[in-house]
Amino acid sequence: MKSLATRNAVLALVITLLIIGSVVYAVNYLDRQRVAELSAIQNQLATDTLSVETQFALLETAACEDISEGNTLSQEVSNLGEKLANAEGRLGATDEQVIQLKNQYTLLEIRDYLLTKRLAEACNFKPTVALYFYSNVPGACTDCDRASYALSYLHDQNPNLRVYSFDYNLNLGALKTLIAVEKVKPEFPAFVIEGKRTYGFTTIDEFKTAFPKDFFASSTATTTKNQ
Amino acid sequence: MQLEFFVYPFLFLGLYFQVFLLVTFLSTPTRERRERTASIATPKVAIIVPCWNEQDTIGGTVKSLLALDYPKDKLEIILVNDGSKDNTKEVMDSYIDNPQITVLHKENGGKHTAINAGIELAKDAIFVGCLDADSFVAPDALREIVSCFDDPQVSAATPAMSVHNPRSLLERMQNAEYIFGIAVRHVLSAVNGIYVTPGPFSFYRMSVIREVGGFRHAHQAEDMEMALRMQRAGYLIENAPRARVYTKVPRTIKTLVKQRTRWTTGFLRNVTQEYRDLVGNPKYGILGLMVLPLGFVAVIGGVALFLLAIAMIIREIVRTYLITNGIPLSYTLMPHFTLEGFYLSITFVTLLSFITGAASVAFIIIGKRVSDTPGELTLGIIGYALVTGLIAPFWLMRSLSDLVTNTKRKWR
Repeated sequence: MKSLATRNAVLALVITLLIIGSVVYAVNYLDRQRVAELSAIQNQLATDTLSVETQFALLETAACEDISEGNTLSQEVSNLGEKLANAEGRLGATDEQVIQLKNQYTLLEIRDYLLTKRLAEACNFKPTVALYFYSNVPGACTDCDRASYALSYLHDQNPNLRVYSFDYNLNLGALKTLIAVEKVKPEFPAFVIEGKRTYGFTTIDEFKTAFPKDFFASSTATTTKNQ
Repeated sequence: MQLEFFVYPFLFLGLYFQVFLLVTFLSTPTRERRERTASIATPKVAIIVPCWNEQDTIGGTVKSLLALDYPKDKLEIILVNDGSKDNTKEVMDSYIDNPQITVLHKENGGKHTAINAGIELAKDAIFVGCLDADSFVAPDALREIVSCFDDPQVSAATPAMSVHNPRSLLERMQNAEYIFGIAVRHVLSAVNGIYVTPGPFSFYRMSVIREVGGFRHAHQAEDMEMALRMQRAGYLIENAPRARVYTKVPRTIKTLVKQRTRWTTGFLRNVTQEYRDLVGNPKYGILGLMVLPLGFVAVIGGVALFLLAIAMIIREIVRTYLITNGIPLSYTLMPHFTLEGFYLSITFVTLLSFITGAASVAFIIIGKRVSDTPGELTLGIIGYALVTGLIAPFWLMRSLSDLVTNTKRKWR
């Protein structure tokens, strides 16, 4: 009876370790699959962005309606950002693949931002853009989660709001140049809204004042009604 | 360090124990126990029914005992009234004329004294069994039990308990749990790992009872204490997986918590005091090295994980409040989930929890099949999976508190 118990105890230990190993492998595999999915989406978006940029260069100001898909692209960039944030939460901010993807995503954002500006000038529309700089360094930005949530809420209230989020500490030349051009100090959260820099986040109402008057007017009325 | 890391050791041990049970279930000695046929031999047996205020159920209990498929001259039923204050005495006295039944009334002294008084009357029985007065047996249960005693080293045999006529969700949930217990006891019997011979229809070899002595108060866990005493004396405890017995269970959460507190405190007190030498002792095999230590881990782990879950929930609520403060509730409360597979939360903990949960469900199904227990289990399994984890921490915490503060509680 004891030999049966000992044999089974050892066998159970081996099987348990195999199950745990399989679970670790499966979770890791799924995470890598997600990263691969992100990479594929990112590549597709990069191609699409390049396509719009090329199209824009070819047509110059001739046919704004032909390059209206720029809006769709921005939405896809935004969705990609959400997925990337999710992957970062799972794999950690120091994961090499995550950093690589963030670098590419940041480049994509900057290109989309520049393209939006060029389209706006050429096609005579005035987009409302918010550049949002955060930091993942522990303790460096206690209000960043609140700021991110508020921006998501404001984007939900008015989908015309274009939000570009940047990890301030990312070691990427283009981002450093953007930070230098926009003169953003390392105080978080930092925003560039309508060309004006603001730092810190207190309340949603105060935050709204940074945006053009009436930009959230209709939605605010609805919100009040809902409350 | 993430709080989630505290879950890992408990998950590992839980999974390991379940894998051990599964491996042992598939081994030859366990299969042989499943294939064991009911006894043809009919040695003299006595069944003691200790009663305290059981006027409503004692009749059904006696009726089921009289219907047992066993020669009447070999089966003695001893009803012991342990100072009941209701009409138990009158109900019992109505059986006085039955030659199979002996009725004894005594001053209230506790369940163990009632069983011992019954044992005193069963002098010529080879095996003596107990049946709580709120339990009912299947007609073939006794022959199934007797077949366990073919090996002279077997000192006791346990039955396959399930809930009598479960109706409410709480009763169905307990039924699923009891049937899980059938599978566990069936498996543990193959490695002599049983640490409790439950009140409803466990049987003992009379010669061993005489050798090790009668029942003791044992912190209101006399059935557990007797099993541990027999294990310490080097005997084997068997299980008859098809000896079906149906018992009444608490109908309210309050009485359930009270009952389980009594069981858990009894376990903790016996194992930390009189039977501490068994824990971690290789001499007692799986019982000493796995079952008793993991029993402790289950109590500590249940409390720790519950407190951890509470801490994590509070932390998340505070965090969510701080983040969403100022944002209209109409937006915050709006579901933001997506069905996209990308966002599916498959983590190490969720996947391993799912596997251990699935294994538990598998053991409930195994328990039902092995014992041929009738009835539908789906709702019970759902209740067991969703509700037990929310209630169990309360009796575990209460038991730990009683152990530490040396608090004594009444039986009912």
